[in-house]
Amino acid sequence: MTNMRMVDEASKMQDVKIESRGVHVHYGTNEAIKGVDVDILDKTVTSFIGPSGCGKSTFLRCLNRMNDTIDSCRVTGKILMDGDDIYDRAVDPVQLRARVGMVFQKPNPFPKSIYDNVAYGPRIHGLVANKADLDDVVEQSLRRAALWTEAKDRLAEPGTGLSGGQQQRLCIARAIATAPQVLLMDEPCSALDPIATSQIEDLIDELRASFSVVIVTHSMQQAARVSQKTAFFHLGEIVEYGDTPKIFTNPEDQRTQDYITGRFG
Amino acid sequence: MISLTFVLVIAAGFIFLTLSRGRAISLAAGDLASLHSRPSYHGLHAFLWVVLVGITTLLILSVLGSSLITAALMGDIADALPDSQRIERQLILSDAMSLSRGTVASKDDALRQEVAVRFGTYEAIRVWGSVLISLGLAALIGMRSLSRTTLEFRARNSSEAIIRRLLLGCAIIAVLTTVGIVLSLIFETLVFFENLNWRIDKYLFGTRWSPLSGVSAGVMDPDRVGAVPLFAGTFLITIIAMLVAVPIGLLAAIYLSDFASKNVRAWAKPMLEILAGVPTVVYGFFAAITVAPFIRRTGEALGMNVASESALAAGVVMGIMIIPFISSLSDDVINAVPQSLRDGSYGLGATKAETIRQVVLPAALPGIVSAVLLGISRAVGETMIVVMAAGQGANLTLNPLEAVTTVTVQIVMLITGDTEASVAAGPAFTLGFTLFCITLGLNIYALRTVRKYRELYD
Ligand SMILES: Nc1ncnc2c1ncn2[C@@H]1O[C@H](COP(=O)(O)OP(=O)(O)O)[C@@H](O)[C@H]1O
Ligand SMILES: [Mg+2]
Repeated sequence: MTNMRMVDEASKMQDVKIESRGVHVHYGTNEAIKGVDVDILDKTVTSFIGPSGCGKSTFLRCLNRMNDTIDSCRVTGKILMDGDDIYDRAVDPVQLRARVGMVFQKPNPFPKSIYDNVAYGPRIHGLVANKADLDDVVEQSLRRAALWTEAKDRLAEPGTGLSGGQQQRLCIARAIATAPQVLLMDEPCSALDPIATSQIEDLIDELRASFSVVIVTHSMQQAARVSQKTAFFHLGEIVEYGDTPKIFTNPEDQRTQDYITGRFG
Repeated sequence: MISLTFVLVIAAGFIFLTLSRGRAISLAAGDLASLHSRPSYHGLHAFLWVVLVGITTLLILSVLGSSLITAALMGDIADALPDSQRIERQLILSDAMSLSRGTVASKDDALRQEVAVRFGTYEAIRVWGSVLISLGLAALIGMRSLSRTTLEFRARNSSEAIIRRLLLGCAIIAVLTTVGIVLSLIFETLVFFENLNWRIDKYLFGTRWSPLSGVSAGVMDPDRVGAVPLFAGTFLITIIAMLVAVPIGLLAAIYLSDFASKNVRAWAKPMLEILAGVPTVVYGFFAAITVAPFIRRTGEALGMNVASESALAAGVVMGIMIIPFISSLSDDVINAVPQSLRDGSYGLGATKAETIRQVVLPAALPGIVSAVLLGISRAVGETMIVVMAAGQGANLTLNPLEAVTTVTVQIVMLITGDTEASVAAGPAFTLGFTLFCITLGLNIYALRTVRKYRELYD
């Protein structure tokens, strides 16, 4: 009996990467997140959709404790990653962010060479022993971000000289290079043209094999194309969470229905 | 009388402004949209014409009149005293002017009286002529503007064209004065080098500086105009100043932009800016009265031989003076590094220190470099502190505990010294020109890097 439960727990643990329980976020006195419970699965793309200002970015930033860098921001509740509370005092947010990578809305390559951009994380965290290993990590990361063929001959050129779509893939490569387990993306395509967007979408689909990916998006088509799970945020709460096809074809909540049919937003 | 006329011309301007505006309003007959330009532009157009024409005429006539009168009277005096010196005639003329105005003259004789009477007549003609002609012209132009006030008249375009020309004129004045100053620097420098028989090498590489000793008739001894000790002194003090200002200023900027809370920032930044507003003469006597004796006593306690005026004292105080300059500029460029870059670095698990060192500072580096260069060019050109605290003797040394002198100090000594200005001007202008070339180079380079840096993030 006890054994059976252990096995059951174990398989569940493997599936659920991040568990959020009763998370509230305040900016000063303004409550931006009002109690969010959600299980984010491993090796899955989860998308957060919802109208502007409903707290998608705020909740996403809770998952790698980026909110700690905002003075007025206060997070309460529990967020467990692989069963450990990431807000525990024993957890260093700096180390956590190496395990939970983040890609931002606007491509933000450092004003360094393409190579140094990708090597930034591995160097800081001492992930590689020598130059050859570092070269290897850079190449692998660029390959997985589908940028290698375009960038391999210009690794020494500044990352800021790439096109917008290439810059965003560089930022993805930079995040991958620290070997994270979770990849958070906050509207990664909103500053990109349709071709660059579809390249990034293909990329996200491939990344699913290795990471748990959480993506905030304003495009319902994008959510439908790339994600397996979708959470609909509204006014700081998750109104509905489930399999993507179900959310888009047969939502249970009237507000979800209204949003995806474009009645408000 | 002339200055009263200025007021009258401006008053006339306002009268025609009111008239033209009133005429425009009455022409429009309640339908303002039927006017090409709004009534106030018709008024402005009249005002500009009246004032410009009136004042220009007044200035030209009275200045031109003065020189015509002088020329005529000098001619008369020359006729009366054919073998007199020019300077003698000038004296007679100025005496005559004094007599005519009723003030004290050096001498009173028949010729002077006669010239004085003639001067009085001419002067009256000049004053009344220029007053009446300029007022008359102003009134004529005003009438013309008034008659041009019609529904179709493009008063806005016309007055904007006038204003544009006025602005252009001011810009030209600004540029021309700069050009003029530079040209006079170059000219005096060339004269100085000519006096040296073009031994420019002696000036640039000589090590003895006492240009005025034994000077007769403006010819200088090339062996005594070696500027190296001055530039060495300037260089030494600048280095000391930058050693103080750059680390402190930069670290203060980093603290202010990335570590200080909003409250600290709110009072610390204005404090620094106040420091930047302290007049350099205050720093100067602070250096001479407080810092230099302190350094000397400390040095003596340690058994070292310190001059009472030392490069160290001047350099340290100059560094303190430059701190706010560097920290304020660096703080601006560090703040201009987008938050998204910091977020990107934090998002990869970098600490604040790593982020600042590896992302923020490299991104802000061009701006910081140019802040330092601008700081250097201030240090090089700084005068008051070194005059008071660095010493006057041209002493070729790199020991910061000795007295040295700087380029600026020597310029001050040359110009304020007893030697006749025309002799002392040569070396002073030459030093000034050399200094100008150095700071100009630094500033151009600094501004160019700042611009490149702006383009990177805009
Ligand atoms: N740095 C901040 N300081 C204060 N309030 C913030 C901050 N960031 C977001 N908010 C507030 O939190 C709420 C949620 O914002 P956000 O998470 O950015 O929404 P979304 O990403 O869904 O558009 C908004 O009301 C917003 O005003
Ligand atoms: Mg957002």
